[in-house]
Amino acid sequence: MLGEFEYLLITAAAGLGDGAYGAAIREEIEATTGRKCSMGALYTTIDRLETKGLVKTWMGDATPQRGGRAKRMVRVTPNGVSAAKDFYDAVTSVSRGASWVANRTGSAS
Amino acid sequence: MGGEPNGERLMTSTGWSFVKAAARLLARDEREAALGDLVEVDESAWQGLFDVLGLVFRREAVVWKSWRPWLAGFGVALPSSFLLMGFSLSVSWSYLTLRCPELLQRSSLTLGSGSVVLLCQVLLLIGWSWTGGFAVGSLSRRTLWASTLLCYSPCLFCLSRFRVESLSRFCLLLFLVPAIWGAHQGLRISRMRLSWAIALAITITALMLPGWSSGDHHWWAPPRWTLDWVLCWPAWHLVATARRAGSKARF
Repeated sequence: MLGEFEYLLITAAAGLGDGAYGAAIREEIEATTGRKCSMGALYTTIDRLETKGLVKTWMGDATPQRGGRAKRMVRVTPNGVSAAKDFYDAVTSVSRGASWVANRTGSAS
Repeated sequence: MGGEPNGERLMTSTGWSFVKAAARLLARDEREAALGDLVEVDESAWQGLFDVLGLVFRREAVVWKSWRPWLAGFGVALPSSFLLMGFSLSVSWSYLTLRCPELLQRSSLTLGSGSVVLLCQVLLLIGWSWTGGFAVGSLSRRTLWASTLLCYSPCLFCLSRFRVESLSRFCLLLFLVPAIWGAHQGLRISRMRLSWAIALAITITALMLPGWSSGDHHWWAPPRWTLDWVLCWPAWHLVATARRAGSKARF
């Protein structure tokens, strides 16, 4: 089972598709959660996910916007997609009936 | 500089040089990616420094979760450096005894037997130091800096307190050359061939045996063989790792 931050990272990387790399994933996580994402947490989690076979990383091309430095590109593997789906299903089913979910449904209707 | 952020506000060249210096503690690819990310998001120098140091800290913390760096530092480097300094001194003293007829006469040794004892001691010193260094180098490459610190701190402490007129204080450090050589080899090849490892461990153990039979032992000191095994176990550890690697290769 994934951890919360691992799930966020996989989801952000999957959403970014071919444009998934360190800074972009970090920006995406910060924008969607409103929380600060440290570089240390990001890269150590990417490593952990890669060890588990849930993402694959490689060094991309150097770009002038990055001062001629390469990006660490990230792609979610089929196992990563499956692990994220399991996490999502678990969160969805455990949240069913929770007051905040009911309230949100109520306010929407 | 073209490689630095264009819209930098707080990222002064001084701040940026701190960030780059801190990033040197990261692996090459990770340094590249991390510095590139900082440039791209136009992070302030201090925030960038904080980010890079945070990443370095996390990387180190991950390494120290394993038992290997603890064993390399506190199981080999620290105790072995104390004991090998003592043994280096013992070798130097044996050499001095052989060189000085008065001392030789006072000891129960002849020139021939004294030379054999000295030869055994030198071989044992090289063997213990080399295998200890090899074990440290192969056990945990990424924490070699910590093992080095744990090895050098007792050396500095003892060097500063060494007061024997007839011997240079650098006699304490005879073990360092084979130990550094062993650590270098350990970093390079990580494990030995089983036949070599067994031959080395048996030779070292055999060289230890004559010392156990000598009667120069104080009641307050731990038995000589216990201290010898502290220095000898890295040699047998190399045998165990070589054997494990061999059996893994077979399956």
